[in-house]
Amino acid sequence: MDRNKLGKWLQSPGKMAQKYSLHVLYFCTGCGIIEIPPSITTRWDAERFGVIPVATPRQANLFLITGYVSVKTLRFIIRSYEQMPEPKFTVGFGSCPINGGMYWDSYNTIKHLDKYIPVDGWIAGCMPRPEAVFVAVTHLWTLIDKGMADGYKKYREDYQYYRENQEKILGKLEWPPLFSNIENERK
Amino acid sequence: MNHTGTLLKENILSSFDDIHVDVVDEQRVSVKCKKNLVIAVLSYLKRSGYNHLVLISCVDWIKDNELELVYIISAYTEESEKGKMNILVKTRITRDKPELHTVIDVFENAEPYERELHELYGIHFKGHPRLTPLFLEREYEIPPFRKDFDTRKYVQEVFDQIPFVEDKKGGK
Repeated sequence: MDRNKLGKWLQSPGKMAQKYSLHVLYFCTGCGIIEIPPSITTRWDAERFGVIPVATPRQANLFLITGYVSVKTLRFIIRSYEQMPEPKFTVGFGSCPINGGMYWDSYNTIKHLDKYIPVDGWIAGCMPRPEAVFVAVTHLWTLIDKGMADGYKKYREDYQYYRENQEKILGKLEWPPLFSNIENERK
Repeated sequence: MNHTGTLLKENILSSFDDIHVDVVDEQRVSVKCKKNLVIAVLSYLKRSGYNHLVLISCVDWIKDNELELVYIISAYTEESEKGKMNILVKTRITRDKPELHTVIDVFENAEPYERELHELYGIHFKGHPRLTPLFLEREYEIPPFRKDFDTRKYVQEVFDQIPFVEDKKGGK
């Protein structure tokens, strides 16, 4: 362990543990997933940063959305995001989730992912290099340190707005609201 | 010298009336026929050894008010000349009420292609077992691959109308 960080570890062990064990759920929506195999294998070994790919949303706390999001995949992105345990962070990878990218006038891709689920950070580019993933991870560390990676808290707070937006695009959702009690308290 | 295309043209012309065959080159033959002849032509080709339906595609000729369906046929065969052939069977149907009989009876793998065309061009295939949506979740007034579908207008009306959560909170 890095001795310089010992103070930090003693101060806030929870935060440090979150930082260095990012278990990533890759949502292979588009071409972005091409950049992931090199970044998790030997060339740019992602485990140096504590980043490990996991199999299911229940084990993950970093959600990487790689590529464009069509209306059909949005449904599964929301479901996976809601299954992830807190604290959870979302990073949009590539320009398509940011504002549509090259699919800005497509009939079936959603343009701004952050209208439907909270997103903590973006990696711009089409496609970003694997190095950009690690830049994003280190940025995410600083955000976690400062307590600014609070997308999951926002989701809890503004759940009704997010749910409204989701239902506008997908029609009626077939699963019950995730935070129904909180919504009722507010009313 | 290879004459597969010319030979095929002669064969088709001798078996069907009211059909137009173009030999683009010796390995690419384009057959234009009326829509009631499609099944007959396809089964004729299948019987003569061209037993693989590669793809069904569609072209929207909006000025002629017609949709053109293109069935691309090739062959799984040991004969090298036949195996290199690509046959395009083209037919035109009206845009206003696009209807056609399904070709599943001849080529079974036509099913997903026809479902896709039904979804993206609004073509109704009579006799198709399930013409349910394949890719799309939302319903569109005009099928989205037709030329008169205005994607920009659609995006402005649907996706751009959804507010950002921050704006929504600020507005309330």
